[in-house]
Amino acid sequence: MSAEVEAGKTASRWKLSLDTWAVLVAFLLALLVRIGVFKHVPW
Amino acid sequence: MADAITVPQVQPLQPALRFLRVIPGVLLLAAVGYAGKLLEQNVGAYAKGHHWTFPNIEYVLWAIVLGLVISNTVGVPEIFRTGVATYEFWLKAGIVLLGARFLLGDILKLGGVSLILVAIEIVGSLAFMTFLGRLFKLKPKLTTLLAVGSAVCGVSAIIATKGAIEADDEDSSFSIAAILALGALALFTFPLIGHALHLSDRAYGLWAGLGVDNTAEATAAGALYSDAAGKLAVLVKSTRNAMIGFVVLAYAIYWAGKGQAQAVGNKAAFLWQKFPKFVLGFLLISVLATYHFFNKEQVGALANLSRWAFLLTFAGVGLRTNFSDMRKQGLRPFAVGAIGEVVIAGFTLALVYGAGKIFGW
Repeated sequence: MSAEVEAGKTASRWKLSLDTWAVLVAFLLALLVRIGVFKHVPW
Repeated sequence: MADAITVPQVQPLQPALRFLRVIPGVLLLAAVGYAGKLLEQNVGAYAKGHHWTFPNIEYVLWAIVLGLVISNTVGVPEIFRTGVATYEFWLKAGIVLLGARFLLGDILKLGGVSLILVAIEIVGSLAFMTFLGRLFKLKPKLTTLLAVGSAVCGVSAIIATKGAIEADDEDSSFSIAAILALGALALFTFPLIGHALHLSDRAYGLWAGLGVDNTAEATAAGALYSDAAGKLAVLVKSTRNAMIGFVVLAYAIYWAGKGQAQAVGNKAAFLWQKFPKFVLGFLLISVLATYHFFNKEQVGALANLSRWAFLLTFAGVGLRTNFSDMRKQGLRPFAVGAIGEVVIAGFTLALVYGAGKIFGW
């Protein structure tokens, strides 16, 4: 197995889906709101 | 071994470059979305100040229309395209954050009803689209793609199914074009029909969640009606999205049985891979909100973050819709999709009326 294929397999194993990234970012934002970094978000 | 050392030296640059490439498009989404918000505030006030009769047009519609105008006149330059494509990311992050506005009890109550309606909708839509595909003599895999696109969740379902049943690129681009064009039409026709029929927020939200294919369009079609209808449309659409794994698995097994796709190995792993993770995120935030992990102000802040994420999504819906590109894809899949969508819209409306009678809404 070539190094490129091996590296590709390792990368895809750790690659997160768009869904997962969206969930992680949303949870990070929720945490920042919870700990008071964002006290008020205007609309 | 020397190869193994050289590869990691190249890899670290890629994520940073990818991140830089999305910035122009995300800024364009923000600019178009914010312009829509400003237009909502200022056009209404200007018309009122001059005693004009002018309908109150929400930022949702302004953002979509501005995006459509740009996409179909000057076009979206290449530099912005990668960032504009992130609208799906903002949509999913927005849905997760929207979970803070739902109490778990509401989700279980509404989700239970919508689960039954979604199951009926999926079975009915798949059967009808398959019948139509055969009637119009479409290729069987193209029919499968159009059926899952109409019955489950639009483009995501088509992409997931394409890989599982080994369909042609041409078939998937036909189906995606048809579903996107019909989604754009649904976006404008659903609210008009809803108002004409004087549907309640609950009935309309259920209908939009059941009848509009793409999650972005379903969210926008709901928000165009009212805030409450928008919330419910997202919940029902997320229930539909949660079914994607089961439908794709069934089709993968069917096509593998015919020797035209690879057999599915670990079915549980397949279902997990296809399951939309944002639905779990939405439920988890809702559980946290139900058990007062966030106070009232924090729930308000999360709801507003969700609105900002949706603002970028609505701008993206307009910017990625190009009618001349869609016309190039041919008429037959579009005709099948259009007939199917009209029938599915009527069928889901009847389901909503039926559920209203049974549950006394």
